[in-house]
Amino acid sequence: MMAPEMQTTVPRNTASHGEIIIDDVVKIYDPDGAAVMAVDHCSLQIKAGEICMIVGPSGCGKTTLLNAIAGFHEITSGRITLDGKVLCSTEKPKAEPGSDRIVVFQNGALFPWKTNLDNVAFGPIMQGQLSAAEAKEKALDMMADAGLTGVEHNYPGEVSSGMRRRVEIVRALINNLSVLLLDEPYRALDSLTKSVMHEALLEIYYKNKVTIFFITHDLEEAIFLGHRVAIMTTRPCKPKKILEVDIPHPRDYSVLTSKRFRELMEETNEAVHEEALKAFSAGEKEG
Amino acid sequence: MLEILKKTMPFQVVSDGMLQKIAMLGRRTSYSTGALIYDVGDKADDIYIIVSGQIEHMLEPGAQARRPVRLLRGGDVFGWAALLEKHPHRLAKATCVEAADVICINADDLLRLLEADADAGDVVMSRFATMITQDYTVPDLIAQLRHIQRRQQHGDIRGMNLTLYRISSWLKSPRPYQMLIGFALFLGFWYCAVEVWKLPRFREMPGLTTVIREWLNPNPTYGLSIYTAEYYTHIWISVWRVTQAFFLATALGVPLGLFLGWSKKFKEYVFPVFETLRPIPILAWVPLAIVMFIATESAVIYLTFLASFFATALNTMLGVESIEESYIRAAYCLGAKRWQVFLHVIVPGALPFIFTGLQISVGVAWFSLVAAEMVSGQYGLGYVINTSYIMVRYPTIVIGMITLGLVGYATSMMVRVAGDFMMRWRTRELALGGQ
Amino acid sequence: MAAGTKRFFGSKTWRGAISLVVFLLIWEIGSLSKIWIKWESFEWLRQMLTAFGLKPIYLPWIGAVPAPTEVLMAWTHIIGDASYWQSWYISLLRVISGFIAAMIVGIPFGLLLAVSRTAYGIGFPVFEVLRPIPPLAWVPASIIFWPTQELSIGFVIFLGAIFTIVINVVGGARSIDLRYFQAARSMGSSQWDIFRRIILPGTLPSIVVGCEVGMGITWNVVVAAEMISGGGSQVGGTSGGGLGFFIWNSYVGGSYEQVVIGMISIGIAGYVSSELLRALGKRVTPWLHLR
Repeated sequence: MMAPEMQTTVPRNTASHGEIIIDDVVKIYDPDGAAVMAVDHCSLQIKAGEICMIVGPSGCGKTTLLNAIAGFHEITSGRITLDGKVLCSTEKPKAEPGSDRIVVFQNGALFPWKTNLDNVAFGPIMQGQLSAAEAKEKALDMMADAGLTGVEHNYPGEVSSGMRRRVEIVRALINNLSVLLLDEPYRALDSLTKSVMHEALLEIYYKNKVTIFFITHDLEEAIFLGHRVAIMTTRPCKPKKILEVDIPHPRDYSVLTSKRFRELMEETNEAVHEEALKAFSAGEKEG
Repeated sequence: MLEILKKTMPFQVVSDGMLQKIAMLGRRTSYSTGALIYDVGDKADDIYIIVSGQIEHMLEPGAQARRPVRLLRGGDVFGWAALLEKHPHRLAKATCVEAADVICINADDLLRLLEADADAGDVVMSRFATMITQDYTVPDLIAQLRHIQRRQQHGDIRGMNLTLYRISSWLKSPRPYQMLIGFALFLGFWYCAVEVWKLPRFREMPGLTTVIREWLNPNPTYGLSIYTAEYYTHIWISVWRVTQAFFLATALGVPLGLFLGWSKKFKEYVFPVFETLRPIPILAWVPLAIVMFIATESAVIYLTFLASFFATALNTMLGVESIEESYIRAAYCLGAKRWQVFLHVIVPGALPFIFTGLQISVGVAWFSLVAAEMVSGQYGLGYVINTSYIMVRYPTIVIGMITLGLVGYATSMMVRVAGDFMMRWRTRELALGGQ
Repeated sequence: MAAGTKRFFGSKTWRGAISLVVFLLIWEIGSLSKIWIKWESFEWLRQMLTAFGLKPIYLPWIGAVPAPTEVLMAWTHIIGDASYWQSWYISLLRVISGFIAAMIVGIPFGLLLAVSRTAYGIGFPVFEVLRPIPPLAWVPASIIFWPTQELSIGFVIFLGAIFTIVINVVGGARSIDLRYFQAARSMGSSQWDIFRRIILPGTLPSIVVGCEVGMGITWNVVVAAEMISGGGSQVGGTSGGGLGFFIWNSYVGGSYEQVVIGMISIGIAGYVSSELLRALGKRVTPWLHLR
């Protein structure tokens, strides 16, 4: 199944938690009486500590899944568990948002009125785990670790969007989280910044083995980053094909031109393209 | 030169202002057929943009390009090796195959320019990257492109420096002079209509010179000028009334608006009553206010308060409702409890709207105050205008109006400045946008 | 079907209705405090009120206001009165004519300022200096200038609305995304084309908002002008007419119930006109109101 991981640094968290099981989840929206099924009996198992990429055309319902895990939306039926603990189910359709599953949003959600440092320190302070001074110190450390020195006291609006994404990821990581939920975080970035972001994300991942649940529409990004890639059908959403990416970690940009990468792309390209065409002709609006 | 720059891949989407600055860095040169522009290994300092003619561009084998030889024409850009880090030297041989006109731009200068506007700089560099990958087919080299460093000094332009910078750039634009023309036209027309041409409608109106003479008269005919104490008493009383009403309206209106926006239940209970009372014009309350509040002073303040209150509460509510959902969700994700989300996300997030509302609130306050004073006041600028009319002191009417305009503008500006101060994060963001 | 009725009873409408009822109840009880509080018995209450300079015969503020029931009774009397409805008509006429005049002048002027940078540089500062002067402050000047009272009131109404409309038009035009212009130019549009097909539709939403806000101001000004010209000060002629005048007259005549009726009437009129304007606005900008 998965090739043994070759790690060069000792991870901070052990990958013993962060396993998500999505079990036969159904989500039906009811906008003005016309029931719209967004997720159709979707079952997926995400292993603890793995990077699971969810690929699908725009508007297919993948964000709905993420929102259900994060606790922003209800599910109609089914069950989602995290490390055995039930997040939401038919009886309790809406999960509680919590700092064990933190979302990094598509257009970024750093608080513009707080400095980058205050943003990163926000989580621990709110939860009362650390005092303000301790939290800020830890934040400074983690930001330095992620290569973000020099921008701590700027406001998010003053730095580039690539930088903002990285700050947002650190803001999530500073809490003891099990799962990092990423909702097309690099969609709005240009390709040069994107490539930098990918390597940055992997670096962070190697140091903090959290489970990563990453939604994207970019197949290349998915295969480059992920241990597994789940290709979803267009609305209603359901896993169409699951690809095991057996390129060993740690990976760097040379992977993109490797033979194995090209093979994997060829295998999955057709499946993705098929769904994209369906979505296009259905005139789906992006989520 | 701007036209050529606009056609090139890297500079296509740059703003005109930035393009002009880039154009100023460019130097035009020409090459004759067969001339060697540069060879592999030469020191790379300039970037070249072709205006006309043809250049053959041959990459060395070491670059591992899929298509090493290219024929470049007008609108193409080459010499980008100057943008690479680590001792840039030429990776290709560039020869002129047909007499060519080119623009040279020094790479270091260009980079410095791009760093001044880091967002635009990022875009330009990424377009260079795309060009290098797609046109020149050497994707491996893009990792060596120099990064735009975000200069910290822009973060350091605060307060005074920023203001001075803005003032100096304002003075250099045509705007101050257009403004003078506008005022000259307006005042000129007034002056001529009343005193020179003596147009029929304007016969009774006080003329510009009469008003100014009266206003600046140490011994005013009608008792009010900048030299009389009474003038300032009236101003002070009106201002004091507005201040009281404004602060009361803010103290009550902002919290109400925040709760209306934050809690759906609360809104369902309270908003209908709010919306029923709001359409009633403030001045329709005058008789009732007189009846309710025995003291005229409180009646006037109540009326002024009412108008501001509705405006403030409504705008605050809209502000809360317009906060992006993702901020609220992010806060919950990070473990914040409901009251913490309110304090750390809702309140700061709604501030821009709140301050817009406050500016409107001040304007509306003056509106109501003047009306209330005209109907039932004993002091104040509205009262002055009213009685001046009755006592046929026409120039004083205009003095009153002008004073009202000035004071109203001043209070509005104070609110705006307070808002800018409280939302420094926004002013810095807007300043960096080059506005 | 069952779900529909459940929604109605569960929630929003019900809650709104409850609070309105509560509001009316408080009003009723407060107003009738003259009657149901045995003032003779509560010496301390009387002393406290007197100490604050208030009349010791009813609850402060609320007590002076006529009760909802009294207002309702007065309304039944006045519905048959022709002059009441005439006041409606006169006020409406003033509002509409002043407002339309403001639109006719304001929208083109605003567009001019938005389109031409020179016009903006020349015109906007003067505009901004005149804007803080409350419209009512113009009343005496207006009366001196215009021959008839109707025209002077109309001018003040015109001023009241026009500042808002222009500001909104300018703001709207300036916020049109630059890329629309670039797209049009790259497709070969002429200046006039760009104006007609990009600037006009692009500014339309802001024009609509400006009109809605302007309408509110207009009603305020109309009421004020009618009250001022009808009584309260000598600023004005013989007859006023209109709902503002109706209110003032009722006040002077001591029938406070009618004052409240007048207030509610104007509130309704203002609300209805705003809603009509909003509906019209939706018609004109269908692309903003898609599901």
